[in-house]
Amino acid sequence: MQDAELAALAQAGDRDAFGTLVLRYAGQARRVARAILGNSDDGDDAAQDGFLAALRHLGRYDPTRPFGPWLLRIVANAANDRRRRRKVRTAEPIPPAARSTDPAPDAATDRAAFRGEFEAALATLPERQRLAVVLFDVEGYPHEEIAELLGVPSGTVRSDVFHARRALRAALAKWRDWREETA
Amino acid sequence: MTTPSPFDHRPDPELGAALRAVLSGGDDRAFAQRVVAAAEGQLGARPADWVDQLVRWARPGLAAALVLMAGAAIWLGGQRTAESGNLADPLRMADDGLAVPALLASTTDPDVDVVLAVALGN
Repeated sequence: MQDAELAALAQAGDRDAFGTLVLRYAGQARRVARAILGNSDDGDDAAQDGFLAALRHLGRYDPTRPFGPWLLRIVANAANDRRRRRKVRTAEPIPPAARSTDPAPDAATDRAAFRGEFEAALATLPERQRLAVVLFDVEGYPHEEIAELLGVPSGTVRSDVFHARRALRAALAKWRDWREETA
Repeated sequence: MTTPSPFDHRPDPELGAALRAVLSGGDDRAFAQRVVAAAEGQLGARPADWVDQLVRWARPGLAAALVLMAGAAIWLGGQRTAESGNLADPLRMADDGLAVPALLASTTDPDVDVVLAVALGN
């Protein structure tokens, strides 16, 4: 079933239709919220806030347009609202030791090290660059839709993706070098 | 690794996978269930609102219907009485000037009062 049909049913109070929409966009919404907040728990809370806000305002959704960017914009706003509210808390990545439950210690250590490096690199990027690169390279949205979602010209999105890529690729290369050295 | 170009319109699969690994986490299905559970109030509120609305409208609607039915019954009853009285009420027939033919056509003996009323009226 198409997003617009599911949205119409969800607006009428159809629980299953809303559940299908949430499941369809859960991954994207959670990644976008985490990219803004830098924290899994806060990111999930913000993604949930976004879905609930979208449900309340489904009447404003134009079914002739794609649902994803409309929803992700609401999620991004919810994440920003949450970040403003939690001023005291920082966006420190979760310590790798607390996250890893993998039985293979070497693989787990490697993954944790990579995550730490990459999360740190991601956290140094300006928020708009983080969102632009996530929406482009992970979610596969075209520049034009990202531009609409972020409320900036398409050229700005291209520039943001370029700068974000450059920084993140450098972090990837650094981690690869470190891995080769330790091996 | 090649230097990325600002004109590269294709997503970078390696970078995309790395970002996905860092930003993804947890079970999306469990998350969706949690969101739907949190939305229960919003989703459930709509049908309940409709029911409440219907109940609210039903009460005055039923009362209005009963009043209308009672009014219609009274009016219809009055109509029947009036219709049946057209021939049975001799005084009224006298007013209309139809009393004499009615008296002549009657198969029963006329009442004295009726005869007097017709006579006085004419």
